[in-house]
Amino acid sequence: MGGDTLMAAISAIVSIGVRPSWSASVVRVVLVSAALMVLAWLLVLPLAAIFAEAFRQGWSFYLDAISQPDSMAAVRLTLTVAAIAVPLNLVFGLAAAWAMTHFTFPGKSLLGALIDLPFSVSPVVAGMMLILVYGKDGWLGSWFEAHDVQVIFALPGLVLATVFVTLPFVARELIPLMQAQGSEQEEAALTLGASGWRIFFHVTLPRVRWALLYGVLLCNARAMGEFGAVYVVSGHLPGLTNTLPLQVDQLYQENFSAAFAVASLLALLTLLTLGLKRLLEWRHGEARNGH
Amino acid sequence: MGIDISHLRRRFGQFTALDDVSLSIADGEFVALLGPSGSGKTSLLRILAGLDLPDAGSILRDGEDLLALDARRRGVGLVFQHYALFPHMTVAQNVAFGLRVRPWRLRPRASAIKASVEELLRRVELDHLSTRYPAQLSGGQRQRVALARALAIQPRLLLLDEPFGALDAQVRVTLRRWLREFHRSLGITTLFVTHDQDEALEMADRVVVMNQGRIEQIGTPEQIYRHPATPFASRFIARGQPIPGEVEHGTLRVLDRVWAVGGFAEDQITSITVHVRPEDIFPTQAHREGLAARVLNVRHVAGTVRASLAMAGLEEPLEAEWNEREWHRHPVAVGDVIDVHIQSLTVFGSDADGRVVARKEFQPPHGAAPVTLGPWRRVEA
Repeated sequence: MGGDTLMAAISAIVSIGVRPSWSASVVRVVLVSAALMVLAWLLVLPLAAIFAEAFRQGWSFYLDAISQPDSMAAVRLTLTVAAIAVPLNLVFGLAAAWAMTHFTFPGKSLLGALIDLPFSVSPVVAGMMLILVYGKDGWLGSWFEAHDVQVIFALPGLVLATVFVTLPFVARELIPLMQAQGSEQEEAALTLGASGWRIFFHVTLPRVRWALLYGVLLCNARAMGEFGAVYVVSGHLPGLTNTLPLQVDQLYQENFSAAFAVASLLALLTLLTLGLKRLLEWRHGEARNGH
Repeated sequence: MGIDISHLRRRFGQFTALDDVSLSIADGEFVALLGPSGSGKTSLLRILAGLDLPDAGSILRDGEDLLALDARRRGVGLVFQHYALFPHMTVAQNVAFGLRVRPWRLRPRASAIKASVEELLRRVELDHLSTRYPAQLSGGQRQRVALARALAIQPRLLLLDEPFGALDAQVRVTLRRWLREFHRSLGITTLFVTHDQDEALEMADRVVVMNQGRIEQIGTPEQIYRHPATPFASRFIARGQPIPGEVEHGTLRVLDRVWAVGGFAEDQITSITVHVRPEDIFPTQAHREGLAARVLNVRHVAGTVRASLAMAGLEEPLEAEWNEREWHRHPVAVGDVIDVHIQSLTVFGSDADGRVVARKEFQPPHGAAPVTLGPWRRVEA
């Protein structure tokens, strides 16, 4: 890159909103196509490869691979785990965001840091922590065992691991918004005689509903795709404790093409979530502009 | 009857928001809480609304303990500075909110709610906008929606937090007059917070001047303007300007004038503060009797003429204000050296703790004739 290009880049940045000069438009084309190429190389191509690989041996093989009882069980298990973990985090996220933005209490900054913890702790470590606490010889494990409840290598363990990993999504989406909105409207509702529940459902919730949905969708995408923490606590029993990502991993060792078929299913679920998110953003934008 | 606030205290950490505040408000009165930001007026409003609790003190309404009722059951209407309208509800839904959220035994029928919402919107002259959303309204319209919403619960006390703070000057003046009339027709006891002197003096039956968590003075606009109780009230409301002055050995010395004073009870009083209002400084034809002043600038502001005057013995120039007619009689221009006569001075006497304990307004005589500087008016805050 010569000095001219650099100057052009700077003038492109400076001239935002002004009629672009010829060199500025060159820079724009270069930057945009570079970004698109990186995206294509790193995201679109591999994603396309998964679907291509999945269908390489034809439709019938594909349908056969995903309709295997173990694969179907994995789909069911993944959906079950997400169906439990996401609502739990929805409630937790709302409660945490409310507490963080409406109250001052000792340990508030600690709570803020703890909410972020799952982002910084490796999922494998999270799984190990669960084993330590709920495993056969864990602190609580023996108590659960005495009451005939199996946590590790069973659904409860999978749910716990997923809840842990996806904990921050809803809360992190809500906290900045609720902070920006303040609590004046809640106070107004209070002086008008509304009860706590009514304030929550009629004033607070409508104001954060888009951010909440957005957080829930992100949380859901992550819950369905989670591998590391779930890997540790699952036990890998095909048809019993294998979620979709684990099933893909297992098939990958045994039956290469079937692994890609199941992987494409997982990718499809995630793409569906992303599509829904996009749709919501679009609708939200409409709502905000048009009112 | 009415509201009795006594000995209210509220601290936030090291900051004292309310320091022994006592105030009585009669039924139907329109009272302004006037003070700079941080003077405690909004804290008092929030405590009255039930959104905050005092550390000490009591509030009685017709003898009933108001602090024992939480905000929900207090029946106090509060209009926020930024209105706090519910953005996802229409104007009509906003106004109906307080009626809809009542427990079902006390909730009016849907048709009754609709009727009273219509009536309220008609009163605030917004009945044609009932299906709009707050985002589609102007500032002044939002403010009236907030007012209608607060009135829907038929409050026995209406609180307004900086009701015109977020509006532009033109709308502000119109709404001021409108709200004054509106209060007269409604008769609800109303307390409003403002930092704007003009607003408080123009609208309120009584003005409560607050500073640093304390009430400096309570009185009608005229009382406070004519007879400010403290240097703060004088500066803030009567535009009083400090000039150096002292009393010693039976003489009062202000600028370079000396008067013999009688009736000066020196007990408690250890220092005095002298204030002069802009409209009490007049140019005089009688030379040698006035104080020499140099005119630094002259501004013509809608019917009044304001001038800055540099005078010997003063670090800051004094502001003088005359109406156009007076100025035409004695026109002064920038650079002129004129003689001025001070028609009225206010002298505040403070004790050793710096508390104002006495004050006296007096008309300085021409020449050095003896004056009486008493009896002092005792100041009670």
